[in-house]
Amino acid sequence: MNRNTLLLPNEERIIPNKPIKQKDLATVSIYGLSLISAGLFLLLPLVNLLSPSPWQRYMGAIHGCAALFAVVVIAYAGHLAFPLLRGKAEILPQMRTLTFWSSCLSFLAIASGNWVYMRYRAPVNGARAWITENTPLVHYLFMEYHEFTVLFTLPLGIGCTWILWKYGDGIMDKKNRSILTATCFALMAMMFFAIGGLVTGLNVARIHSL
Amino acid sequence: MTKSKSAYVAQNPWYVKLGNYLKQFPQGLAQGSRSNPSSSGFAGAALISAAFACFFMMVNQHFAAAFKPYEELIWELGSWIPGSRNADKLYGEIGSYSGKETILLITWLFGWLFLSLLWRNREIKGGTIFFCLFFFLVASTVMNWHPLFPYMPLMPK
Repeated sequence: MNRNTLLLPNEERIIPNKPIKQKDLATVSIYGLSLISAGLFLLLPLVNLLSPSPWQRYMGAIHGCAALFAVVVIAYAGHLAFPLLRGKAEILPQMRTLTFWSSCLSFLAIASGNWVYMRYRAPVNGARAWITENTPLVHYLFMEYHEFTVLFTLPLGIGCTWILWKYGDGIMDKKNRSILTATCFALMAMMFFAIGGLVTGLNVARIHSL
Repeated sequence: MTKSKSAYVAQNPWYVKLGNYLKQFPQGLAQGSRSNPSSSGFAGAALISAAFACFFMMVNQHFAAAFKPYEELIWELGSWIPGSRNADKLYGEIGSYSGKETILLITWLFGWLFLSLLWRNREIKGGTIFFCLFFFLVASTVMNWHPLFPYMPLMPK
């Protein structure tokens, strides 16, 4: 029942128990599927808890959660860079805080990554020695990329946060158009490196656990 | 009139309130600075220093892989990071990667400071900022894969 219905006199009201329309079913189905997919995706790092390796069970799970959380927030910021680039000024305050939190989460993912990297390189049953010996392409294609490109997200994120804060609402002015474009491009690059980092990290982890 | 504007909904549910609160948290950051710079030099410094630091780290990575004494040197530089060196063979250590991270950090922060001072009152063209960002980031990404890796593995075993 909507506001228009409430204004109508009793006798002209639409019946309260109106049948569910086809459109409602479609909306509910799409929202339901989206929520289930997103929920399953967010549960991904918990798979680490099933690993036979005790290192993977706690180190892998912690780094997995930190990385996934960072990627979700960074990807959200990266997607909002598109409307910002088109000049949607209303999202500026949100972009400032979102980029800041993206940078914080990026730092946490990197810090937990450093910790996990120790065990990855460990001389006793370390994953790195096994991978370079048995499937070197995984190391040269994925791990090399994973190690370095995820670090790019931190300076890019902090730089963008600083610009979005420092230039205030004036960043939407015509004279600052190039700054806005470059900042949005940097946010998109940050998203690219974060998602790439997650995919390569997952690839390495599925070849050999910690 | 859509369902979302229903007259029955007196106020937003808690999760919408929480979402709106988080969007504006911290407040001081969400509002933006009151004194905005008049030139694009500050923005150019922030973005170019970040991209250049990534590029510099990758160049450094190639040198570290090719020259063992240099790798030892940068490992020393990164020894401030916890876990950089660790005698426990089961737990492992970060190794020279900590030095490479330190190089990124130093290049980025000093580069940012240097360029901010240099370009304080200068107008940097949008094309220059964009070109530097694009060039450094693409070059850094490509440098993750050495063209000779199947024949001359860069990483020591």
